[in-house]
Amino acid sequence: MKAYKYVGKPIPRQDVSKVFGDAIYAYDVKLPGMLYAKLVGSTYAHARIKRIDYSKALKVPGVIRVFTGEDFPFKVGIYAADRDVLARGKVLYYGHPVAGIVAETPEAAEEAAELIEVEYEPLEPVLTIEDALRPDAPLIHEHMEEYRHASFIYPRPGTNIANYLKLRKGDVKKGFEEADVVVEGEYREPLISHAYMENWVGIARVLSDGTVEVWSSHQSPFAVRHLLAASLGLPIGKVVVHHTFIGGGFGGKAGLLLEHIPVLFSMKLGGRPVRLELNREENFLFMAQRAGYLFKMRTGATKDGRLVAHYGEYYLDAGAYADYTVNIGRSVGFVPTGPYEVPNIHVDSITVYTNKVPTTAFRGFGMQEMHFAFEQQIDQLAEKLGMDPLELRLKNAIVPGKSYLPTQVRVREDAGDPVGTMKRAAELIGWGRRPEKPDEPWKFRGIGIASFWKGPVQPPNAASSAIVKVNEDGSVDVLVGTGEMGQGTIYALAQIVAEELGIPVEKVRVAPVRSTDSVAYTWQTVGSRGLFSEGQALMRALDDLKSQMKEIAARVFNVFKDEIEIKDGKACVKGKPWECISLAEMALGYTLPNGNAIHGPLIGRGSHVPSQTTYLDPETGKGEPKPFMTFGTSAVEVEVDLLNMRVRVLKAVTVLDTPVINPGLALGQAYGGAVMGISITLNEELKLTKDGRLLNPNFTDYKVARAGDIPTEMVAEFLGVGQKNAPYGAKGVGELTMIAWPAAIANAIYNAIGVRIKKLPITPDNLLEAIREQRPELLKELDKYLLGGE
Amino acid sequence: MRTVLAFRTILPTFTYHRPSSLAELLELKAKLGKDAAILAGGTDLLVDMKMGVKRPSHVIDIKGIKELHVLEYKEGSGLIIGPTATLRELETNSLLKEKYPVLWDAVRKIADVALRERATLAGNIANASPAADSAPALLVYDAKVELTSINGSRLVPLREFFTGVKKTVMKENEVITKIIVPEPPAGAKGEYFKAVRSAEDLALVGIAALVANPNNPAERVVRLAYASVAPTPVYVKEVEELFKKDEPLNKLIKEAVNIVLSKVSPISDVRATREYRLHLVKYVTAYLLRKLLGVK
Repeated sequence: MKAYKYVGKPIPRQDVSKVFGDAIYAYDVKLPGMLYAKLVGSTYAHARIKRIDYSKALKVPGVIRVFTGEDFPFKVGIYAADRDVLARGKVLYYGHPVAGIVAETPEAAEEAAELIEVEYEPLEPVLTIEDALRPDAPLIHEHMEEYRHASFIYPRPGTNIANYLKLRKGDVKKGFEEADVVVEGEYREPLISHAYMENWVGIARVLSDGTVEVWSSHQSPFAVRHLLAASLGLPIGKVVVHHTFIGGGFGGKAGLLLEHIPVLFSMKLGGRPVRLELNREENFLFMAQRAGYLFKMRTGATKDGRLVAHYGEYYLDAGAYADYTVNIGRSVGFVPTGPYEVPNIHVDSITVYTNKVPTTAFRGFGMQEMHFAFEQQIDQLAEKLGMDPLELRLKNAIVPGKSYLPTQVRVREDAGDPVGTMKRAAELIGWGRRPEKPDEPWKFRGIGIASFWKGPVQPPNAASSAIVKVNEDGSVDVLVGTGEMGQGTIYALAQIVAEELGIPVEKVRVAPVRSTDSVAYTWQTVGSRGLFSEGQALMRALDDLKSQMKEIAARVFNVFKDEIEIKDGKACVKGKPWECISLAEMALGYTLPNGNAIHGPLIGRGSHVPSQTTYLDPETGKGEPKPFMTFGTSAVEVEVDLLNMRVRVLKAVTVLDTPVINPGLALGQAYGGAVMGISITLNEELKLTKDGRLLNPNFTDYKVARAGDIPTEMVAEFLGVGQKNAPYGAKGVGELTMIAWPAAIANAIYNAIGVRIKKLPITPDNLLEAIREQRPELLKELDKYLLGGE
Repeated sequence: MRTVLAFRTILPTFTYHRPSSLAELLELKAKLGKDAAILAGGTDLLVDMKMGVKRPSHVIDIKGIKELHVLEYKEGSGLIIGPTATLRELETNSLLKEKYPVLWDAVRKIADVALRERATLAGNIANASPAADSAPALLVYDAKVELTSINGSRLVPLREFFTGVKKTVMKENEVITKIIVPEPPAGAKGEYFKAVRSAEDLALVGIAALVANPNNPAERVVRLAYASVAPTPVYVKEVEELFKKDEPLNKLIKEAVNIVLSKVSPISDVRATREYRLHLVKYVTAYLLRKLLGVK
């Protein structure tokens, strides 16, 4: 990468306000006259509501109202509007909110909550993908045909199928005929939780002029605004969403969350501010989690290691509301294989409803899960072919400019460098060496690798915009709509401004806390698209600004505009660096010696929309789905301990092809991504009883990695191979850094002990079970070492 | 029975008492009985109250009673731990580490530093969770619990203290006033093995092992105790007898493992399966015995 003054430098992030405690979160918002809402959940996974008795709750002093589903007879949602505000007629999952209490104090609301009585008529719960697809399965959504949904979603009323995506490329039958080896597998991942630090909170009020104001913990302020307006029939200009700092999102705070609940309660209570704040247990049950997955795959290759065919049935267990998850079903459907050219593909990706907690976006948007399956297919093919798994990957890797996507579109020439990441990751992990043998005979080490790719999943017209304003002292305010949830996009954007205008980065401010009525629009803060999309809009806004600066300077110095250059925060006549006007001097327009002023305040504006992406053909999936793909490879060394059945990641390596604006922030993402990915691989699962009750809505038993679980050694590198239309070539990295860990770890475990793990999480229980099934002799050896055998 | 799920953010209301003497505490406890919960660290009680597992109308905070804040060791008679001594105080006590390594090892493996700053050893015992980490360690040291009521004190061996999941022999008017850990057998060493799902966790299985004089059958002491394998912490007393035999250690280890397996009854729950727990009991017991007895 070319040397820049600010771009590409690990400049420390500017939001020290978090460290000093003055960062404002939605939780901190308290308004005069604010009321407190509390939700209560169903004790059944699937049941008809026969009666709700809240008379006792109303008698608690301070309780104002109790709402039930019948108060709000309509649905809300993003891709498929399948959500009730509160359960109506039926409860669809354990914890499904059946009533909402509003009180003058949180204490009163909590006391009243315990007094609500519901009479249920239990129905058979549908708790697995297989059960949901049975022809005689109970219908979870009985009137699906009435649901409003996006044009690219294909629900099947009369079944439990929320979306059905077909992908067809080439001739898969012919492909398998060509294949010399075929690997078949079933891979599963359970429902998991985002486990972000900040529980969700939302505060809403309705002003006397009808303006609806919302403060909430969300990723995408403009999506909240759009969906609130669309779902509740409000004029969008009368909805103002305030974005604050948020304590982690990971996709779990994308789209509309529960904002409509305090909004609707406030509307029914004369506009008084209503606050709905979830505690940890409620957050596990009332907020959407991540879907479960089942992948059935068959992949074929020729003797010389060419991938020729892939057949897949992919299933997403979306829970009671598939809203956002239907789009993840698309995501894994149209990127159904790893970063390889596969000429013949036939995949059906089916999102199903079950009587479980609703699900939504999650960091990686299905790509972690798809790669967990596909990258193990690759390793198994390599074994069958007697070929090195790295060699098989290199041989089939996407070649930019030549290969075709699974959606039949040619990969752009500057798409990236998949092969480069494979080679570098292999080098960093020491591919080909035999890991050290630990002293204890029951400990085994292994090395595994997994490659990946991902781009944002968004409608083809997902837009972004940016406004750049210059202040009197030559400092710059940047107005963008992207949310700041810890990833640091806004600080990277500030570096771009500093670079383009040649001013110190401290003079650029991108406010982390802002409102939809006072910043530029962006579609959503998801899919690792922020920097790529906002960045392009910002580059155009800066071009616009620079053009204005040049215009002013051209008039002042009486030269043509193209004779002016922008340098060090000034507009100067080329070749005469003493003939300059600084940003401060022209911030509000330039005043000539005689008092005449020209131009007025400087304000640059820029827009972006991914002009090359298209809708996909409903029968084949043909089309351009993404504005970019980031390529990468992760590799791990693990130690498997058969005494306690735990897997420890000793070294974690990840290499991405893209350049980055701020390597410090990017490394932060990479380390965080590795820890999160490892935690998901080894620990995380929402556990249900046979009748669908969630057993672990808490961090006592929903296990997330702690500091002591962080690998001994983590390495991340960015190769700097950029895409031409990206800002300074930089593509997204946020999600990418966590995608490949489950696959890499599973491959490493196989390398260590010859046991193939196709189900997450790889807990001691599951590992013991897999060893018993696949290699019981390992346990016999352990017995011999410790007890002398039989 | 409740027909809705309602999760509290705020504790339910209760009357808070903070006695400054033991006498005052005993009087309160005599008067209020099971309506009053004892608050020391609060790390179990407050969670139970929020979750609705416990709804005491009175909470008696004993942290203001100076005479209960004891941590002392007397050569020959052992260690006395008062009910407000925190786990962190035990963990950072060098004498404990040296003299009672199994207890020290168990205490430092409970949750994390922040929690150990609040939680107490007596609380860990009084809570009577089958997963209590300190229990197996105290069992291998043959600890005694002093229970005191307005009518006087009694000393209960910890091995007779637990009666079921979260159940003990404590009466409604009694409080723990001391935990007495006798002088360990000369030369005793040992450790506490804790199976976990992440760096800080509740015990999926906990195993306390103490060994002294491994090479002299007559003087040999081998003690094993377990957490999370039965409704109560389990001390396997037969093992100590077994190892008095003058037989090859390999053979004794094998027999010990079989005895232990016959004394435990782990279940499958949200934390681990029965199969995994049995795997741990079998092989980690063997591993610890071999290590501590010096069997190659």
